[in-house]
Amino acid sequence: MHIMEGFLPWQWCIVWWIAAIPFLVMGTIQLRRIIRKDREYLSLLGVCGAFIFILSALKLPSVTGSSSHPTGTGLSTMCFGVFITSIIGAIVLLFQALLLAHGGLSTMGANMVSMAIGGPLAGYAVYYLLRNTRVNIYITVFIVTTVADLVTYIITSFELAIAYPAQTGGILSSFEAFFIIFAVTQIPLAIIEGCVLTLVFKYIVALKSDILIKLNVFSEDQISRASHNEDQIVHLEIQ
Amino acid sequence: MIANYKIELVAVLAILVFVVVLLFINSGGNHKFIGSDDAGSQKISELTGNPIDSFVPIIPQYKPSNGEIETTFFVLQAAIGSFILGIIFGYWLAKKRSTRGQGD
Repeated sequence: MHIMEGFLPWQWCIVWWIAAIPFLVMGTIQLRRIIRKDREYLSLLGVCGAFIFILSALKLPSVTGSSSHPTGTGLSTMCFGVFITSIIGAIVLLFQALLLAHGGLSTMGANMVSMAIGGPLAGYAVYYLLRNTRVNIYITVFIVTTVADLVTYIITSFELAIAYPAQTGGILSSFEAFFIIFAVTQIPLAIIEGCVLTLVFKYIVALKSDILIKLNVFSEDQISRASHNEDQIVHLEIQ
Repeated sequence: MIANYKIELVAVLAILVFVVVLLFINSGGNHKFIGSDDAGSQKISELTGNPIDSFVPIIPQYKPSNGEIETTFFVLQAAIGSFILGIIFGYWLAKKRSTRGQGD
């Protein structure tokens, strides 16, 4: 989903940076607040950040004949919300722009809006709709993480389509072309990411369910129902 | 027992299906599996009619001089994440173990 340095007109670079900055400011404020409130949150924050680092480094071949990488932002979105996720995503994008020439500093605003803000926002919307329903929490986690990944690539397609409308067919035709390159490639990878992050969430429930309850990710009742089985597994493994 | 590992089974099954489909698609060896980022850049070049080389960085940036160095940085990125993950999950597991030990 990286828009490479130099591949976005400077006017659009400014637009996307302006769109991203408020999220970074809010993210910094929330991050300071949450760390001051309870240092235990740092460990979960570390796990969420670590997964964004790992998954966004994995370039996987896909069924369309090209390669892409998962984003890993869904987990952080559920645990800490969109603003803090935007900070973690920005750190990863900065690392890749400075050391790997994947993305760039001028296009980082656009890349943040797709990976660190837009995808997480879509994931959070799904999470908000499903969290207080009877849907199993693991199914909710799977859908949220899959949607956050997939929407990231849809937004990248949109960003490029409005910057480079096709001569015939305009923005829509251009969007279709970028959608096939980015979003269609991403469908199987997003599903795999959903499965992996659901598994990770299961281990967090098994080992550190109290943080999830404190952060009100899911209700105590939902977590205790889910953790009942996981607790038995951990007990077996410890023995 | 198997019921306790439902999510693990689903994840492994999903990965297996993905790999089998991928092998089937690539059986003719027709795909190069280039990165979607590069494919996107190529599409921009097609749409604008400008060659890829004409897109110069707005802000100058470091580019790894070859694929090996690029791979090193990608591995470094994954290693940083894995290191943090290992420490935290290890800490959580040890804490849980000691809590249980005290309870017994």
